Amino acid sequence: MSLWRQLAHGFGALTRRTASKQQIDDEVRHFYEETVAAHVARGLSHEDATRAARIEMGNPTVVAEEVRDYGWENLVATSLSDLRYGVRVLRRSPAFAMVVIIVVSLGSGAVTTVFSAMNALVLRPVAGVGSADRLLTLSPIRSDGLILQQGSFADFSYLRGRSETLSEIAAWGKVSLTIAGPSEGTIVWGNLVSANYFDALHVRPYLGRFFSSDEDRTPLAHPVIVVSHAFWSARFGGNPDVVGRSILVNGHPFTLIGIAPRTFRGIYTGVRADAWVPLMMQPLLRPRADLATSSWLWIFGRLKDRVAIESAQAEFPALMTTHARESGEARGPAGFRSMRVFPFTGLPGGEGVIVLRFLGVLLAAAAVVLLIAGVNVATMLTARSIGRARELAMRAALGAGRMRLARQVLTEILLLFLCGALGGWVLSFLATNALERVQLPVNFPILMELSPDVRVLIFAIVTALAAGVIFGLAPALRAARLDITAQLRDGAGDGRWRPSLLFRVLIVGQLSLSLVLLVSAGLITQSLVRGQQIDPGFQMARVVTTSFEAESWGYDQPRARAFYRALRSRIQSMPDVLDVSYVSRLPLTGGSTTEDIDIGGATIGVQIAAVDADYFSTLRMPMLQGRTFLGIDDERSARVAIVNDSLARHLSSDRLVIGQTFRFLGKPTTIVGIVGDAKYSTLGESTPLFAYFPIAQLWQPTQSLLVRTEGDAESIGPAIQQLVLALDPAVPRPKVSSMKDATSIVLLPHRVAALVTAVLGAVGLLLAVVGLYGIMAYSVQRRSREMGIRLALGAQRATLVGIVVREGLTLAVLAIAIGLLLAAGAAQAIKGFLFNVDPFDLATFAGMALVFLLIASLASYLPARRAAVSDPVSALKAE
Amino acid sequence: MDPHNTDVIQGTLDMLILKTLSLEPMHGFGIARRIEQVSRGVFKVNPGSLLTAFQRLERAGLLDSEWRQTENARRAKFYTLTRAGRKQLDVETADWSRRVSAVARLLKAEG
Repeated sequence: MSLWRQLAHGFGALTRRTASKQQIDDEVRHFYEETVAAHVARGLSHEDATRAARIEMGNPTVVAEEVRDYGWENLVATSLSDLRYGVRVLRRSPAFAMVVIIVVSLGSGAVTTVFSAMNALVLRPVAGVGSADRLLTLSPIRSDGLILQQGSFADFSYLRGRSETLSEIAAWGKVSLTIAGPSEGTIVWGNLVSANYFDALHVRPYLGRFFSSDEDRTPLAHPVIVVSHAFWSARFGGNPDVVGRSILVNGHPFTLIGIAPRTFRGIYTGVRADAWVPLMMQPLLRPRADLATSSWLWIFGRLKDRVAIESAQAEFPALMTTHARESGEARGPAGFRSMRVFPFTGLPGGEGVIVLRFLGVLLAAAAVVLLIAGVNVATMLTARSIGRARELAMRAALGAGRMRLARQVLTEILLLFLCGALGGWVLSFLATNALERVQLPVNFPILMELSPDVRVLIFAIVTALAAGVIFGLAPALRAARLDITAQLRDGAGDGRWRPSLLFRVLIVGQLSLSLVLLVSAGLITQSLVRGQQIDPGFQMARVVTTSFEAESWGYDQPRARAFYRALRSRIQSMPDVLDVSYVSRLPLTGGSTTEDIDIGGATIGVQIAAVDADYFSTLRMPMLQGRTFLGIDDERSARVAIVNDSLARHLSSDRLVIGQTFRFLGKPTTIVGIVGDAKYSTLGESTPLFAYFPIAQLWQPTQSLLVRTEGDAESIGPAIQQLVLALDPAVPRPKVSSMKDATSIVLLPHRVAALVTAVLGAVGLLLAVVGLYGIMAYSVQRRSREMGIRLALGAQRATLVGIVVREGLTLAVLAIAIGLLLAAGAAQAIKGFLFNVDPFDLATFAGMALVFLLIASLASYLPARRAAVSDPVSALKAE
Repeated sequence: MDPHNTDVIQGTLDMLILKTLSLEPMHGFGIARRIEQVSRGVFKVNPGSLLTAFQRLERAGLLDSEWRQTENARRAKFYTLTRAGRKQLDVETADWSRRVSAVARLLKAEG
């Protein structure tokens, strides 16, 4: 109540400012008049009474001021007047204000851009989902401790009815859908979902309905489909009558039952889903035998009310153990032990954490730029407060309190930082826009929505104001702590000005921080270069690739086999083509498939790939022993496999493995060859145990085509497209790219990190050097009289240049020493991110220090030369 | 002017104002004079502090105010004690007597 009254009175006083001022003035005047009257009543003359009242009460105006100062609203009022005054002051020196705002914008823009990406990819709740904080992602943990993103249908349906802590458990898997149109089909990214998917996410249909529980029971019974608002608008012109109509999906008639709300695009960050179909339609849309037990479903759940996430986590080990026992599966290292729960984000499982950690490193680098910017501004503000000393001293002499002055100066500084925050926000818009346009080498529709939102704006303002307080406080307090008389007596200073200790600390600070950025950028760039030089164990030059998803065209297995076979033989007969092959998953695209093999009584988890006959010759991988796959290794002949060198050594120390037999997916399989080790999912991986199987025997409907050519790799793309469309005009036109481009995603984090740190390093260096230049120029200007006297006394100009340059270089060398120490710490922190680069790489450290020294010398030499060429007479006259 | 007058003890001004107003509504000058007279000139109230105290007490809901004519036909702001003000006065009076007797005991014991 009291707080309310305070607020009400305060607002009343604020809105009726003149009225409340009048009341106080009246009350004071009444008091004064009564005092005078009392003195007159005691027998004084009116004149004497007035004097006596004055002496007794003091100046009525001052009394009224004192009374008016009471209340919080006066703080607001004085802050507003500080702000108005600040705007006026800054408008008087627009160049200074602009420079400060630009510097703050650069620093703020750096952190805001990285934070914006962080916010968009990990922090921001998935668009369109209701009460996302109660949702959990369930990720299976394998017996060997590996956490996977996806689980199997068997896991999902076992858990669904049994969890005590989750009210809903839902699952989804991806599926490529080709939705037929009037002329040509559209390929869209679709989701196979459990019927409760939308309910669990708290998503309501925009039109029509979502799936009902009976659509979740019988395989193939309910061909129904929900499409996105965007797809509905683009394809059906937003016509509400299409709901209920039949459309062709992968060649089969489906009933369109509903439209998802505009904001909802599935729950996987970065990929736009356009259609949803019931899980029960999987045999039709992804007709693969092993989908019941293989891991292809993302599983998530909604916590029951008042249940903590820990109790959900505690529930799963027992449930999964029972499940394993009941399903009677003997589980090897690749078997599942439990489910791990994660907070629900658009990047399921541990992926969000990885992205967050990566962006965290970039955020730290960006924060260093903000730090440099802040130090830079602090230097400028300190220099300016010296220039403004006379004005401030005048105000102090007129009775402004020191705290009041400090507050005034701080208000100005915060005003500048606030403008800088807005500038930074705008910069982050431009930067994220540029980032969104970067084409990623992936074969699904990317939705990179990195642009900043209100949360990012708040972040920008808060960080900039915090920086403003941190870096503005010292200059503000310095302004308040002036020696009034000295300043008013001799406004020009004594002419022997040298950069004060504070200045030197600030300059050294920003120089050393920018060196840290430069060294980090150097290390990461080197890591990128080395990464590109890593021998992956095969040759990518002159190989082009594209991928096909025969299932989504409605092809069954025989038809798909015929298609792949026909395409291969037609490409083989093209001129310049050396080798043609298919592979189930293109190497160096980040993914891998692991399965158990049983050999000699042991179960080993190995990575596998299904490849076509000429795979090893297409990629120029060396056969070490035995034979390669041949055309005769087809679905009718005996099962064969080729192992990599590491698996051969693992099985037998002298690699005597040719002819050995193991069981794979229940079938006896004979090893017929050993091939050289190669990188598979990433360049940084340690070589996995790897087994290759003929794609004809381990059938995969989704295959990547690899073509090695002698001729121009560019021109073969259109020819391949024509061959594909000649075979079946209804097939979506494939995207052919060089294998180098298609696998470039494997170095994407390094490329992004190298680019970002290089840009940040350049900005940081620029700011720091401009700071050094500025302070040297300022120092020279303040010392022009000293320089003039020295010249007049016969000093050589070269000597004067030497004095100034030495001063600048002393700072630079000190900064290099500190910067290198800090950089060593930073290198230690990013060590895990560097491959084949020593975090204390001498060449990088020394090289960057040298570059730095050169630039710093230039930044000190230019002002020094100006000092030396100045005319001694005019310098002495100026004061 | 009495050279021996004292500034009102820190923290007691509010209580003195409340006590003075508990008799009848009064304006600022009236309250100042009453405090001076009743204390026989020991307490001299600084008008700045007094008027600021009115602002504070009014915001705390202990006083109400209204502009009225005085007996000598001037317009003045008259203050009245609210119910909360009366309660607060009781609390502060009790508190004050406790402190005074405690201090008195201490001084006696020392002597």
